[in-house]
Amino acid sequence: MSAVSAPRAEVPALAADDLTVRFGGRTALAGVTLEVPRGRVVSVIGPSGGGKTTLLRAFNRMNELVPGVTTTGTVRFNGVDLHGEEVDPVEVRRRIGMVFQQATLFPRSIFDNVVFGPRAGGHAGELQELAEEVLVAAGLWSEVAEDLDRPAMELSAGQQQRLCIARTLALKPEVLLLDEPTSALDPAATARIESLIHSLRRDHTIVLATHGRRQAARLSDFTAYLAGGELIEYGPTEALFTNPRDRRTESYLTGRIE
Amino acid sequence: MRGPNRRRDGVGTACGVVAGLVAAAFLTVTGVLAVKAWSVLDFAFLFDPSSRMADRTGIGPALAGTLWLAVLTAAFAFPVGVGTAVYLEEYASRGGAAAVVGKVAAHLAAVPPVVYGVAGLALFVRGLGMGPSLLAGGCTLAALALPTVIVTARTAIRAVPRGLREAAYGMGATRWQVVRGQVLPAAASGIVTGSCAGLTRAVGEAAPLLVLGAVSFMTFAPRSPADPLTSLPTQVFAWSARSQQDFAAAAAGAGVALLLVLLVVNLVALAVRRRLRGVST
Repeated sequence: MSAVSAPRAEVPALAADDLTVRFGGRTALAGVTLEVPRGRVVSVIGPSGGGKTTLLRAFNRMNELVPGVTTTGTVRFNGVDLHGEEVDPVEVRRRIGMVFQQATLFPRSIFDNVVFGPRAGGHAGELQELAEEVLVAAGLWSEVAEDLDRPAMELSAGQQQRLCIARTLALKPEVLLLDEPTSALDPAATARIESLIHSLRRDHTIVLATHGRRQAARLSDFTAYLAGGELIEYGPTEALFTNPRDRRTESYLTGRIE
Repeated sequence: MRGPNRRRDGVGTACGVVAGLVAAAFLTVTGVLAVKAWSVLDFAFLFDPSSRMADRTGIGPALAGTLWLAVLTAAFAFPVGVGTAVYLEEYASRGGAAAVVGKVAAHLAAVPPVVYGVAGLALFVRGLGMGPSLLAGGCTLAALALPTVIVTARTAIRAVPRGLREAAYGMGATRWQVVRGQVLPAAASGIVTGSCAGLTRAVGEAAPLLVLGAVSFMTFAPRSPADPLTSLPTQVFAWSARSQQDFAAAAAGAGVALLLVLLVVNLVALAVRRRLRGVST
């Protein structure tokens, strides 16, 4: 469908092929074809309602939880069809972790939030160590180490978002889907999350949906521009930002489309 | 700014007056009942068996019967009702059979209790051979409470924020883990409130139990669900329907006892809710 060619790598971590997602009569994604290379950061930019969230949610089979959704086309994870018969969506979501746009913590302690995923997955090892490890990785450890039993809801917005990331890291996912992780945060908290994403790229494939053009430019290797559910352009971030091939991409990047 | 504020204060005052009137009316009813019952209310009255003499009769069997009925009704209606609500909200796909079940449950809540008595007589007393027992009464009252439990539990479950479910699913939780770990704790307070409303309504009913064949004269307190069906509401009805004035006090006494039982049920629900809130935050 899309004339846009994807960046090449051996077997991509994620690959959507002619992916179309409809909610009732509304088409959220229309024939999107794109590959996410392993170990890279791919940002998805575009106007609100353009399909960024739907694309991310298609990568870990979250869309099917919404009543009335229909999905056509394929999504492959390490070359395996995500919708194959033997694929368990619960397993998919453990290996492809997601951080939602709105930090939704469980109304429990910080510790319970961090170890929620491992507990649900029947993690056998030491939970305390794991919690410390991922809280350190999320840059939150020094702020919460004193009192992990505090209600998570008492944290600041920025801390809550980092806790959401820590909670997802505790799943030891191969891929991280970050859906506008800084949209509700102030500049200082945003900077912290960005440096966190930067440090996470060493061990993870990351797909980052973002409203911030500059954030995409700063953080990602490849950028996809989605609008109206269509993939308008996809390519190396630098090339797309400095020399967009599509007029619509250019309009968006120069701020003429919001 | 002053105008609208003052008007709002006016509305507040009016609501306060109405609330005060309701409280006064409730207290008056209770007061009248208590005054009428004063001559019979003592410990012996609570535990004594029935007697042909108005001044020697007690509500022991009826009180025990109502406690049995409350336990049986809760034991049937609570798991079945909450289970149905969870299934309809979290498992069933929209439309189809589930939608029909949901609509039927909502409409059953409006069926008059006496009709449940007729159905219970055919199904439990005769059909399943339970006879006019406490078990048959409990089953009938459970059926009566069930629609209320289902409807209120569904409302409570639906009020759980979607983000909470999605966060849990996104963390690789199974459907049951999401329901057990997130949805039920978040909805528990509303479920308890609704179930309690259904339970107290059912336990206070006389009509369906009279249809089933409740007895109003028992010389011993029921000791098992297989014992004859008796209860405080049916006892109140039987005594107040008698021509002798003497039994009016006994009827009022049984009424006071019924109010106390329902009050205790509500207090228990309140305590449970407090506890749930303490745990979940």
